[in-house]
Amino acid sequence: MAVLGLKSYILDNNWKSVVLLAGFPVLLTGAAYGVQLVLMGLGYLPSTSTLDGDFALSFRMLAAGAPLAFLVAGIWFAIAYWGEGSIIAAATGAQPVTRQDEPALYNLLENLCISRGMPTPSIRIVEDEALNAYASGLNPKQQCVTVTRGLLKALQPEELEAVLGHELTHIINRDTRLMVICAVFAGIISLIAQSLYRALLYGGGRRRDDRKGNAGFILFAVGAVLIVVGYGLSVVIRFALSRKREYMADAGSVELTKNPDAMIRALAKIKDHAELDAPGQVTPLFIEHRGRGLAGLFDSHPPIDDRIAALVKYAGGRVEAQEPPTTGVPVTE
Amino acid sequence: MISLIVIAVIVVVVLLMVIGAYNRLVALRQNANQAFADIDVQLKQRQDLIPNLVETVKGYAVHERGTLEAVVAARNAAAVATGTAEKAAAEGALGGALRGVLALAEAYPDLKANASFVALQAELADIENKLAAARRFFNNAVGDYNGSIQAFPAVLFAGSMGFKPREFFDVGEAPRATLQDAPAVKF
Repeated sequence: MAVLGLKSYILDNNWKSVVLLAGFPVLLTGAAYGVQLVLMGLGYLPSTSTLDGDFALSFRMLAAGAPLAFLVAGIWFAIAYWGEGSIIAAATGAQPVTRQDEPALYNLLENLCISRGMPTPSIRIVEDEALNAYASGLNPKQQCVTVTRGLLKALQPEELEAVLGHELTHIINRDTRLMVICAVFAGIISLIAQSLYRALLYGGGRRRDDRKGNAGFILFAVGAVLIVVGYGLSVVIRFALSRKREYMADAGSVELTKNPDAMIRALAKIKDHAELDAPGQVTPLFIEHRGRGLAGLFDSHPPIDDRIAALVKYAGGRVEAQEPPTTGVPVTE
Repeated sequence: MISLIVIAVIVVVVLLMVIGAYNRLVALRQNANQAFADIDVQLKQRQDLIPNLVETVKGYAVHERGTLEAVVAARNAAAVATGTAEKAAAEGALGGALRGVLALAEAYPDLKANASFVALQAELADIENKLAAARRFFNNAVGDYNGSIQAFPAVLFAGSMGFKPREFFDVGEAPRATLQDAPAVKF
């Protein structure tokens, strides 16, 4: 459907996210099928006399195999759900701040929250000169927006508001939860792939029974290919989703602040200054993070220039308006 | 049997597409309405500041009755204006009259130094900025909505389901040049 302005752009991205997200259960089911084939090929699972029969049997076994895979995913997610916030804070060294410590920052965030009728998340600051920010917290009580000290120093209030709007949109859109779901699905499929690798190194073929040798090998190979392809796709989907959500958070920020120019200026300032030390699990949540290589397929964030171009195209932003208009209004610090 | 199933699937898919397109139009219309309400909030605030402004200026600029009466008249007209075009026109006129009042400060140094005048000036400038932003956002939302009801497949049913195109918030050619680069209020 036609994407003409900010709102239809957001709706469009949301729809694409749903399609991408729907890919995960398909991949997990495919991987479970692959695991059964491998186990059958190695002789751990009962098999029939013909190859076709084996494929059909494995398909019927999915009735048990797929629910098992999803159960594991559910348990994994539950663990992540309760522990996530504190793990990330520990990883980046973020310190909670109160309204008294940073009244200007607090007011900016609170005003945005009031306009959407939502509780104000807590605020944390990372004492680092890098320009970055992230949202975290899977349940409402843990919701938190974290910014770096460098960001507070380098950005004008309007630009800081745009960044806070970006993070707030991640919270409104429940992107933190979405990213954990992605991490869990990709994590399980990666675990399966690693197990396969180990099976190949240590156990592969040893139990394969000579009576059906060739058939066993074919089953094993087909299963292995399924798992490897599923693993690759799960990683690609995960990062594609992450990039979609970044575009949406930029657009959502403009929806909150009504100021595409400030978002553009903030992104331009953050560009090339966002490098903040953190483990790989955390970086997809940042406002900006550069991955490396492979034509952006494995990047959690779209290039800043593309994000600015999207804001110009759909949100009516102006790149030329580099300096904020002088208002004559004293900036409340 | 098979052909029956195929037809049923096609019908369901088409139905889902129509529902999706309809819901999208509703969301876009609601978005435009909300954006207009955001403009309204700022306009109302500006109108509420004008009696204070007139009261403050009156004491200093005794010979400027005409300018003050003009802004009060423009304010009263803006307060009763309804509809996008009428509101935009009334607000454009009010903005012009306001600039006239604020320009008086140049001729009356005492007024320029008055603390409450300075505060009002700052508040009006702030509102002017927010208005400019809200107006841009609204016009983006209207462009989005108007374009979507004219795009296929929505164009087939949008009109009959009551999705009418909205007017842009057009403040007229003259003030727009200044409004684009907020603030319009210069000191």
